[in-house]
Amino acid sequence: MITSMLGSARGVSSNVSGLAELLRQAVVEVRSGESGSGTGIIWGGSGLVVTNAHCVRRGAPLQVDAGGKWREAHALAYHPQHDLALLAAPSVSGPMLELRDPESLRAGELVFAHGHPLGIRDALAMGVLHAVTRDRAKSPRWIVADVRLAPGNSGGPLVDAQGRLVGINSMVVNGLGVAVPASLVQRFVESALSQRAA
Amino acid sequence: MSTKSDTSSSTLAELSSQLAAAVATAGNSVVAIHARRRIPSSGIVWRDGVIVSASHTVRRDDEIPVTLPNGDSVVATAAGRDPATDLIALRVEGAKAHVAPRADSSSLRVGSLVLAVGRPGRNVSASFGIISAVGEGWRSWQGARIDRVFRLDLSVYDGFSGGPLVDASGAVLGLNNSALARGTPMALPAKAVDRVLDELLERGHVRRPFIGVAVQPVALSASVVKRHKLPSDPGLLIVSIADSSPADKAGLLLGDVLLEANEQALGRPDDLLDALSSVPSGGAVTLKVLRGGTIKAVSVTPADRGEGE
Repeated sequence: MITSMLGSARGVSSNVSGLAELLRQAVVEVRSGESGSGTGIIWGGSGLVVTNAHCVRRGAPLQVDAGGKWREAHALAYHPQHDLALLAAPSVSGPMLELRDPESLRAGELVFAHGHPLGIRDALAMGVLHAVTRDRAKSPRWIVADVRLAPGNSGGPLVDAQGRLVGINSMVVNGLGVAVPASLVQRFVESALSQRAA
Repeated sequence: MSTKSDTSSSTLAELSSQLAAAVATAGNSVVAIHARRRIPSSGIVWRDGVIVSASHTVRRDDEIPVTLPNGDSVVATAAGRDPATDLIALRVEGAKAHVAPRADSSSLRVGSLVLAVGRPGRNVSASFGIISAVGEGWRSWQGARIDRVFRLDLSVYDGFSGGPLVDASGAVLGLNNSALARGTPMALPAKAVDRVLDELLERGHVRRPFIGVAVQPVALSASVVKRHKLPSDPGLLIVSIADSSPADKAGLLLGDVLLEANEQALGRPDDLLDALSSVPSGGAVTLKVLRGGTIKAVSVTPADRGEGE
């Protein structure tokens, strides 16, 4: 009995390590001017990075670090209300994260935040989903999670137990982590790219 | 869209979905109580028509608006409060809500996984952590003796006080409270809640018998110990007596040293409180008193401090 419990605790632990490895390949560090740094998510496999708008200082030189190399990047689009920014970073690539539909989230589900809090590279934090808040039209507005975040986590992924992207960590309110739902991020990227194509 | 999510296999996903299911189960018995400014607090449907919550979060006794798990609004009335354990019992008529399933909290150990569930508004929310310590024979700063309390390594967020601490199956282990120990997240075990609740429903308050003395432990002199063949434990020196208190009426005097209560040795002030709380309502306690070198037996009938609070 005890052996099997230990076995399952070990199983969970190795699963979490696997998750950390996946996320390590899917994120970059974002640095803009002299101000602090944030985290970004490689979007669509290569060439694009999504991060928080507040991690990007307008007009300042922009760099992203993937796998230990700093590369030039530039901003393609901003969405200040959702605190999102889309960056072009041509030589960056990583795994594509599956998106999690916020409508299917349940309070108490395990969630994981990956990022570079206080400059510590590739730190993982675990917690549970607290609530999904909604706007007047009843569509998901923010993902609230009982997970410990710090400056530097901004722009990084919040994922579920299967590594699917739940949202982008944006702020801390009353000790709770607050993220932009993945559905809003996807809509933002799609509209930003279609405007450029037009 | 290709994905690498298979790196995390089913164990983690299973745990995650069990936790979410536990929150959903517990959430069926968690209500929101709107009886203070700012955000509402949580309460648990403990028995049919009875809700328990944290007393400090409920700032009135009548016409208390409560939101049930199914979204219905009902009005509850306070049936009693116990300031010492910060519990309040509320009665609601005809409320359709599940009574919370109970877990056996005696098997909980430091490191056990637990969830705190609250309803600080319409929807249920949760936080997750472990039991960080189990306190035995803990006395709250308001004087209640609680056999066991759980100190929690999780966040009891605004509005979570009064909500349940649940295990991985969603069964209730205790009641969360961030005010019981001045900000430290704690949970009162379900058994302690039951005991207080029984008294609150029966008489509206919890009996806290007192006799009206302040005491401090003193060592007895060797000659006194020898003469009366006493154990060499300390006694309790009476340093003040409240006017017209039971002790005053029974003729206890300043400077008396209490040795025993109902033949239980009194070495610490807590021993006296414990002895008094085991006296049945209206009953008397026999104190063995050392006065001027001689030993007397004094019978005192404790009064009930809980009344009128």
